Amino acid sequence: MAAQPVIHIACSDRHRNGKTLLARVLVDYLMLDGRDPFVIDAGFPDGPLRNYFPGRTALVDFEATAGRMKLFDTILGSPGRDYVIDLPSEQTDNFFKACVELGFIAEAQRHGFRIVVLFVVDQNPDSLKSAATLETRVRPDLVVPVRNAFIGSTLTDAGHRTVIDIPALDPEIMALTEAKRFSFRIFLLDDGQGLNPPQKTRLKSFLYEIMVGLRNIAPAVSLQALKN
Amino acid sequence: MKPTLILVGADKGGVGKTTISRALLDFFSRKNVLTRAFDTENPRGTLHRFHPGITEIIDLGNVAHQMKLLDTLETANVPVTLVDLKAGNMSYALDMFDRIGVLEAAREGLFHLGLFHVIGPSIASLDEMAEISKYVKGVQYVVARNFINETNFFEWDQATHRKYFAQIPKALEIDIPKLNEMAYEQVDLAGVTFKDFVENRGPDGEPNKFSFVLRGYVRRWSSEIDAEFSRVKLIQDLLTGGRGAQLQPMAQAS
Repeated sequence: MAAQPVIHIACSDRHRNGKTLLARVLVDYLMLDGRDPFVIDAGFPDGPLRNYFPGRTALVDFEATAGRMKLFDTILGSPGRDYVIDLPSEQTDNFFKACVELGFIAEAQRHGFRIVVLFVVDQNPDSLKSAATLETRVRPDLVVPVRNAFIGSTLTDAGHRTVIDIPALDPEIMALTEAKRFSFRIFLLDDGQGLNPPQKTRLKSFLYEIMVGLRNIAPAVSLQALKN
Repeated sequence: MKPTLILVGADKGGVGKTTISRALLDFFSRKNVLTRAFDTENPRGTLHRFHPGITEIIDLGNVAHQMKLLDTLETANVPVTLVDLKAGNMSYALDMFDRIGVLEAAREGLFHLGLFHVIGPSIASLDEMAEISKYVKGVQYVVARNFINETNFFEWDQATHRKYFAQIPKALEIDIPKLNEMAYEQVDLAGVTFKDFVENRGPDGEPNKFSFVLRGYVRRWSSEIDAEFSRVKLIQDLLTGGRGAQLQPMAQAS
């Protein structure tokens, strides 16, 4: 049986804490898993994700009604595949407010989607509160807190819930991966993409740790569905 | 049950009176209350375009058309008759209704009469209210402030507002909220009712593919309007068979 399509929303209430990196790894992870994700980059006008996934990315200006139509109508008009939405922090509140007002979550679920929010919890205590509020306010299928070791997080004890950890990575290697044509997927499929052996080892370990967390999402969503 | 006649008018054009007529017809449809409507924008009515099945275009100055509207209030077997008065025609219509005894008949309780006066932000709108105040005794008078196009009622300072509304103490003020411009345009373009747009249906009831986002905006707007209409005692009585809550006059509300 084909897995149920998922709308992944990578977000946070604060900027520069690794959301886009997470969304990028997630897209590559889904593609490595044989899925066919479509990316919605709400980082208008720059579109940081668009460069990495040309041909499968829509750049959206969420401030404009036309942008909202592009985002929501694209998803509901083409169900049956995964979506990854990269949401800049300044649009997070607007986005979820619109979701509630328009009844998007329920409508997407009616179209057969599961909705997973990946929320980067940083060192500010409000960040953790915001993540918790989303669960009751928006009622997605799952909210997954994300800890980024590079910036720190207030989330220490996660209990039994699914958490994604982004380990710290040498700034030098990070800079290499930020090159326009660098693909994590192609790198993992044995193309070094200009990295030397020690850099390759460190990057593989970095991606492996994130992907272990991402791999736990599907079972956690299924478990949550059973609980509900 | 006594029939209800609802007049929707303004002495100024472009304040959204037909939009409010459309919203009222949708509201009654959602509440399963049968309606018929008369569009006095003769010869080509906008209301008729959106509700062709229940709307007839008439010329209020024509006696035969007056008869078609007024002499059938009871026999039409439809609880609500709505009249969308042509722009700039409200005072004329009220004067005409007064002369032929319609207002008197309503005061005597032969039928229920409501007047939705759609106003813009200008002082001229307040002047209109003063002008028609002599007609509204015994009528459920509703002042509809239309924010649909993001109107800003900046010209109404509190003192001016009180001065005008003091003349009509039983008036009820309702607000028609703003609707997203693109959503409004799409409904207009599709030529369907707001209700059909929300339900993703075309003019003949066929399934359509309207934008989910725009439908969401219209759905939310409709629910906000429903809340406003539900405050009108005339409407409460219609929905509850006369057991509606007490009218909250504008003086108390503000």
